[in-house]
Amino acid sequence: MAVLQLRSALTPEERQLRQKLILRDSLALLSLFAIVIVLFFITLALFHSFSVHRQELAQRWLTRGENALRAGQPLIAIDALRSALAYAPDDENMQIELAEALAAASRTEEAVAYFNTLLEGRPGNGMINLQLARLAAKQGDEANALDHYQAALDGTWEGDGYVRRREVRLELAQYLIDRKHFDRARNQLLIAAGNAPDDVNIELQIAGRLETAQDPANALHLYKKGLQHRPARLTALQGAGRTAYALNHFLQAKQYLERTLNHPDFEKQPAEAQAQLRNMLSDADHILLMYPGPELSVRARTERILGNKKIAQERLADCLSSKTTVPPALQTMADRWQQLPARLRLLQLEEDPELEQTIMQLVYHTEQVTSQQCGSPTGDDALLLKIAQAPEAVEQ
Amino acid sequence: MSVQSMQETVARISKRTLQRPLTQAELEKIAPTRDERLFLVLSIFIGVLSGLLVVSFRIAIEWIKILTLGSAPHAGQFRLILVPALAGLVVAALVQLVFPAARGSGVNQTKAALYIYNGYISFKTVIGKFVTAALAIGCGHSLGPEDPSLQIGAGVASMVARRLNLSRQRLRLFAPIGAAAGLAAAFNAPISAILFVIEEVIGQWSAAVLGSIVLSAISSVVVARWFWGSEPIFRIPPVTLRDPRELIAYAVLGIVGGFAALVFSKSLGYLRPRLRALPNWTHYCQSGIAGLLVGLIGFFGFAQVMGPGYEVIDQAMHGQFAWKLLLALALLKILATTLSFSSGTPGGMFAPTLFIGAMLGASVGSFEKLFFPHLAGTVGAYALVGMGVLFAGFLRAPLTSVFMVLEVSGNYSIILPVILANMIAYLLSRALQPVPIFEVFTHQDGLELPSMEEAREESELHLEDAVHPVDVPIIKGQQTIGEATQALTAARASALLVSPWDGSWYAMSAAELTAASATSTPDTPIERVLPAERVPILFPDMPLDSALHYFQRWPVLPVLNRAIRGKIEGILTQDDVLHCYHEH
Repeated sequence: MAVLQLRSALTPEERQLRQKLILRDSLALLSLFAIVIVLFFITLALFHSFSVHRQELAQRWLTRGENALRAGQPLIAIDALRSALAYAPDDENMQIELAEALAAASRTEEAVAYFNTLLEGRPGNGMINLQLARLAAKQGDEANALDHYQAALDGTWEGDGYVRRREVRLELAQYLIDRKHFDRARNQLLIAAGNAPDDVNIELQIAGRLETAQDPANALHLYKKGLQHRPARLTALQGAGRTAYALNHFLQAKQYLERTLNHPDFEKQPAEAQAQLRNMLSDADHILLMYPGPELSVRARTERILGNKKIAQERLADCLSSKTTVPPALQTMADRWQQLPARLRLLQLEEDPELEQTIMQLVYHTEQVTSQQCGSPTGDDALLLKIAQAPEAVEQ
Repeated sequence: MSVQSMQETVARISKRTLQRPLTQAELEKIAPTRDERLFLVLSIFIGVLSGLLVVSFRIAIEWIKILTLGSAPHAGQFRLILVPALAGLVVAALVQLVFPAARGSGVNQTKAALYIYNGYISFKTVIGKFVTAALAIGCGHSLGPEDPSLQIGAGVASMVARRLNLSRQRLRLFAPIGAAAGLAAAFNAPISAILFVIEEVIGQWSAAVLGSIVLSAISSVVVARWFWGSEPIFRIPPVTLRDPRELIAYAVLGIVGGFAALVFSKSLGYLRPRLRALPNWTHYCQSGIAGLLVGLIGFFGFAQVMGPGYEVIDQAMHGQFAWKLLLALALLKILATTLSFSSGTPGGMFAPTLFIGAMLGASVGSFEKLFFPHLAGTVGAYALVGMGVLFAGFLRAPLTSVFMVLEVSGNYSIILPVILANMIAYLLSRALQPVPIFEVFTHQDGLELPSMEEAREESELHLEDAVHPVDVPIIKGQQTIGEATQALTAARASALLVSPWDGSWYAMSAAELTAASATSTPDTPIERVLPAERVPILFPDMPLDSALHYFQRWPVLPVLNRAIRGKIEGILTQDDVLHCYHEH
């Protein structure tokens, strides 16, 4: 109604003007629309070329950063990875690589801050926790390092989580070994060993760590397991020889060490390592020659006992003569030797197994007491002392 | 004159009328609702056009940066010194010789267009701003693209409105509409842009323009997001307030931000007028020298301060820097921006403000995290709050600063730290530097634009400030004229208030009562002689000036209680109102 009234109020001229105005406005709006369309396509073309170029730049700088990181040039890697991230800010792997580069460049504070920020976005991320654990370890913050190692073990990993967790556990064990927390390290290693697949490399790796963590028994077990794989590896033979020797299983040690020395790769080992193994074999041989084992003939065993007795008595005499005042422990030992018959014949000893046992115990005890009172023994005394630590294990 | 010749004359006149532009009076007559309808439609067009231009502007800046400074500028590259210096010389020449209106940030220029030039911003200015600002920012001058985007948007709006021959009043309103669109696209944050334009450009919530501002801002953000995605300009890490004790740390950030805003304002306020006062020939090389100095900062190890620095804000927010480096970056950015801006290089203050705030925030956050780990939250949260803090302290837009942080973080849980820190910074900055920075620039440019901060704080007078207790007789409508005369005489008043049966009020002067007494008997009920009109309904909280124009008709005005119908709180005379204005 209002429109009709308005229409009726306009003169024909004004109506014509109005139509003209509507036409003009429509044309103006259409031209505006056309401008929008044209500008849109220009902007789109610009944006597309720009986006493609950004992707290329991100990739180019990422490659440079990774190469620099591999080449041990973390400062160059930092610049390159920062540049890459400027063009692809959401790339998570790139972010982690940058933080790793910061850590590698010893910019620990920056690296920790960056990793902490990344962790806030991905609280359960195993890789970030591992990196933070390493940085905390580097800073000597043991509690934090252990927390982050544990979080890394419990955290999420992309794809190869099973393998990565084992690697983290081995790294944690090594950290604990370095901190002399052998018990805790052993626990981690035994868990790792329990979950490990039947893979000789992994078995040998864990065995090596167990050996370092002062657990030769479990290490020997794993070395033996490793030796079940053919061909026998030199590392496994060496480890088995060493650990058997450390456990006073000199018979086993001799067998493994002989196989080690006969292994084709043995000559490729460093001279020092070769010498060490040869010495161990020599010692094991000597020990087996000195040890009065039950499988020996009565005569042979008695001869060895008398030989050992002589070595121990001489060691005691030397030790006593080196002291101006005789310590009570040495005096007790001397008294115990005094209680034995002054002269012992082979026959007498062959007929008295109890005396044999008493003499050998006295030999072992003498070597132990003299080593405490007069320092570490050498030569046959040293070998006797080794036997004394676990006589029953010698021929295991 | 024959009929035919008369018709020819009329036709000739009509044709001439159709060809010339119509006057506003003619437009009002033939299409009274045209402006209003076009206003809304054009707001959308303006939003879309501004969005496209701002996207192109940002791409231009990035392309120029890559082509001139390289894809990864870093310390030790000689181009870091050469490029901003040469670009400064070129930009200065363009500004001096071709685009004089492109100088400065763009915020004050838009305000000037609104308040002085009837919303007029020339096409040349838009082109000039686009080219010179893109060149300067892309080549490493320490300036941002937001304020130029705001002016580009306002310019687009002005051009569109002029093309459609809209009224002067409408033309003036288009500038803030375009400004909101430009800023919204640059920030990818429509609410902040709308609030900033209302808080800093228009200065008031006007229903006439609010709808259009919202439409244009949303249109431009839709366009910007179509290209850039819905993510804010920097990635926001997760931010939470875990422990109320963290508020202490945020309060410290507010104090640091307040002082930083003061340093920044004072530096600009000191250097800018001195450089402007130098002889005219020096204006051709000031930008070049500023570029050289900024380049030297970059060359000697702090390339991060060059350009707008969004990626550096992003890195700081994600904890990539140690607190000492962050602090150094904040201080050097203040220096670099002061040099670039004071030299008259076209470019904005928003991005540098956000940069400095983010660096300070991250620095305070990292420091507290290092030394008081139980007090501090995430570094990203501090950087985010830091941006708001400097926005509030330096640009003095407290409401925008709070909403900006909320909008870019998309996280409401940070509201408490943001409000606390921003308000501390705002109040501290206001106490130490009473004149806001944009107003300082306005005065330096010799303009007198309205101060939005003063306007916000002006205490408006209300009727309750002038009202006094009822001291005139109050008569019921049924009472007689004789009783009314008697009451008026007894009170020795010049008027009385009559309350008719319907609860309305009538203020009758003594002269009116005398006239009524002359024409009616004394026992006539007074409501019979009352005319139909009644006094306006006024309440104590209404503005004082709302009563002024009624005194021409009424000798006295009753002020009513809003809760109890018919109850008078007091009365008001013209003298009361004038006295109140004198007092304040």
